[in-house]
Amino acid sequence: MPLVEMRDISKIYDNGVVANDHVDFSIEKGEIHALVGENGAGKSTLMKVLYGIVQPTEGQIFLNGKEVSFRSSLDAIDEKIGMVHQNFMLIPSFSVAGNVVLGKEPLQDNKLIDEKKSIEITQELSNKYGLNVFPEAIVDSINVGMRQRVEIIKMLYREAEILIMDEPTAVLTPQETQDLFNAIHKLVDQGKTVIFITHKLREVKEISDRVTVMRLGKMIGTVDTKDVTREQIANMMVGREVFLDIDKPKIKRGEKRMTVNDLTFVSETGKPVLRGVDFNLYSGEILGIAGVEGNGQTELVEVITGLKKASGGDVKVNGKEILNRTPREIRMMKVAHIPEDRLTNGVAVDASIKENLIVDRYFKKPLNKGLLMDYKEVDKHSNALIKQFSIKTPDGKLPVSSLSGGNMQKVVVARELSSDPYVLIASQPTRGIDVGATEYIRKELVKYRTEGVAVLLVSADLGEIMSLSDRIVTLYEGKITGVFPDASKATEKELGLYMLGIKEQTAEEMEKKL
Amino acid sequence: MKNIFNSKNVRSLLRIVLALAIGLTFGFIITLIVSDEPIQAYQAFLFGPVSQLNRIGDWLEESLTLIFLGLAITIVFSAKQFYIGLEGQMILAAMATGTVAIYFPAPAIIRVPAAILAGMVVSVLWALIPAILKAYLGASELVTSLMFNTIALRLFQYLLRNFLQLPDTSGVMSERIPEDARLRTFIPNLPFLENIRNAWAKSTSVSWMVYVAIAAVGLAYIILYKTKFGYEIRAVGANEKFAKYGGINVKRTVVASILVSGIFAGLAGSHLVLAITERVVQGMAFGFGFEGINIAILSSNNPLAVPIASLFYGYLRVGSDVMERASDVSRELVFVVQAAVLLLLTAERLLPVVQQVVTTDEEEAAQLEKGSVK
Repeated sequence: MPLVEMRDISKIYDNGVVANDHVDFSIEKGEIHALVGENGAGKSTLMKVLYGIVQPTEGQIFLNGKEVSFRSSLDAIDEKIGMVHQNFMLIPSFSVAGNVVLGKEPLQDNKLIDEKKSIEITQELSNKYGLNVFPEAIVDSINVGMRQRVEIIKMLYREAEILIMDEPTAVLTPQETQDLFNAIHKLVDQGKTVIFITHKLREVKEISDRVTVMRLGKMIGTVDTKDVTREQIANMMVGREVFLDIDKPKIKRGEKRMTVNDLTFVSETGKPVLRGVDFNLYSGEILGIAGVEGNGQTELVEVITGLKKASGGDVKVNGKEILNRTPREIRMMKVAHIPEDRLTNGVAVDASIKENLIVDRYFKKPLNKGLLMDYKEVDKHSNALIKQFSIKTPDGKLPVSSLSGGNMQKVVVARELSSDPYVLIASQPTRGIDVGATEYIRKELVKYRTEGVAVLLVSADLGEIMSLSDRIVTLYEGKITGVFPDASKATEKELGLYMLGIKEQTAEEMEKKL
Repeated sequence: MKNIFNSKNVRSLLRIVLALAIGLTFGFIITLIVSDEPIQAYQAFLFGPVSQLNRIGDWLEESLTLIFLGLAITIVFSAKQFYIGLEGQMILAAMATGTVAIYFPAPAIIRVPAAILAGMVVSVLWALIPAILKAYLGASELVTSLMFNTIALRLFQYLLRNFLQLPDTSGVMSERIPEDARLRTFIPNLPFLENIRNAWAKSTSVSWMVYVAIAAVGLAYIILYKTKFGYEIRAVGANEKFAKYGGINVKRTVVASILVSGIFAGLAGSHLVLAITERVVQGMAFGFGFEGINIAILSSNNPLAVPIASLFYGYLRVGSDVMERASDVSRELVFVVQAAVLLLLTAERLLPVVQQVVTTDEEEAAQLEKGSVK
């Protein structure tokens, strides 16, 4: 009998997104079980259902054969299930021990928190499982790897038998990853069970006993890790339905518009995120960047568009250096940017649609008369864009928050495309929006490319990359691993091998194709 | 469905009126409990400010200071900067204005504008350090501006005692501002207004600062809603990351919003010293600086609503004064009423009836939009 059995789990969110589609999933006691899949495959949702944070639309959960239902994570913790989240849930100003015992503090005479006891408990758990932490240190002052160990100890203090880890290695350096793996082995030796979410196949092979693959909310299958190769797992992950072809006229690409040369970026925590990226971008082409999320795409776009400072290298547009200039200066060089997260960067939801449409041009004529804005012109401008890009709204004065996700994204697209760009950076341009808006935005991207705009397309959706791009490069752990000069000849199977770092072209091979 | 509630202004007014009614009722209940003569006391509170001409004058005077402070906070809050250093700016501005008005050897026609200008300059400069610390080093403006209030207060006392102190008095104060530099009444010198003018000038000190305040309201409105700079402020306030991505210089906007608000805080200080205290004196603005926050919240950051909110707050302040003198209820009751009103306004869900009306037409719009997609 499996330790945990999730039967026929479905989760449909209020906005209609189907995150889990009749998923069956089971765990044996004492195993390390890897759960893999691309971003948006539904791994995290499934685990949140198991941890009680998300209520499934349908389906059942059995623990040791007995049906359970969790209304919150407290219920799950009572059943000895613990989860270590991707973003740590620690109080930065408390000590390590204080965080470990939070909510279940040992008391002196039933009154005061027994700090000494807290420290002892933390030290004991730390020794027992080989999770090195400093119990008295303030969380704010310790590094990411130790914070993660604190999270794990926190769960062990609550006597968790099943530990869910959501992409635990995403934030770790290779050395820290190795330490984590050692700790996981020790946990399992002492009878714990670990579920390990990741999309790094090397780690799957290294640590797990069994692996379950999910894709687009569905369960693809569970296999014993030793029976499959990394290639086979990659295939299960990226295989997908064929995407409807978009009418894309064949044109010859034009002049070189952007060159990216040995671009590097090191994160605040000291992790090298971009490790020498090179590519060129030409007029009249869509260059697709394929890769599993978290391999440096976000930072690549943010560094090019001036939102983050690069650590090294150079990026030239039309021969002029744009690296480490302000977003305003870069926009003045006609680089437009559809950001990956519209709610964070792309719009101000509480501001009106018309005010959202002018953030990159309010200081230009005819939208103002010197010091004063000309709101009549702003209205004219916004009404024209609302019409041209079919943004469904009764009035441009309404706040952006009144729009559906697809129409919000159209506001972003309308603003960026109408800026007469020379280079367009489109990052996840159709993420989380409905089919109609998706198709509209894809057609617009192709239209502008055909008119001669140089388009850099970053997307976690491989189907989107393959059907829109003229050329494709694959990005893996901050480096370009392959160049595919004719996107129509690339297969997803082949791309998958490069995206997951299983294969890599040599520098000379790539040089020729760039 | 069209009805009068569809106008945003009517809706917010309705909310405010409801909050006021509940707040005042609450105040009355407390008066009933604490007072032997509750009706009399509350009458003094509610009608006191308009019962005599000099009290009307006090009411308007208080309100003018509140208008300047409310405008100052409205501007920083629009950029979502929780800058609350007005108290310090105001007293230093008052000191600068007072000093120039007393000692600057020039005819009044130059001396008064120079005094007001000095107040503005000092107020703006005082805000510069917290503003820069916030924008370029990420130091919380809430903390630094609060600390700067304390520093300002000590500096004020030091300068007053050591340089401006009037000899041979026990009070800590400067000499009085000379007659010709005090502000004249706001009623124009016209033959048919002569009687009213004399009556007002005799029992009140409401000055032509009234017109400055009206102009300041207009100016703040234009800055926020009609200029490029105002767009930048509101964009930063709406979503800082969006503003940065769109190319707005967020740091510069943050600093500029705090400095511009300093102009209005400076006017508050100048008004205080020229029209009300007529000298630089210890404790001249105690607690006044934080009322600007209440005014800005009450007027939901709309400069045009600031005078209304200020008149209301000024009324409560004067009313509580009158009540204290006329009955056994202390003036602190006003804080209870103020707090109740603010609580009701900030916790929007406490007024579900109005809230429902408020959301209906937004939902309608959203539905309309979704319907048309299908």
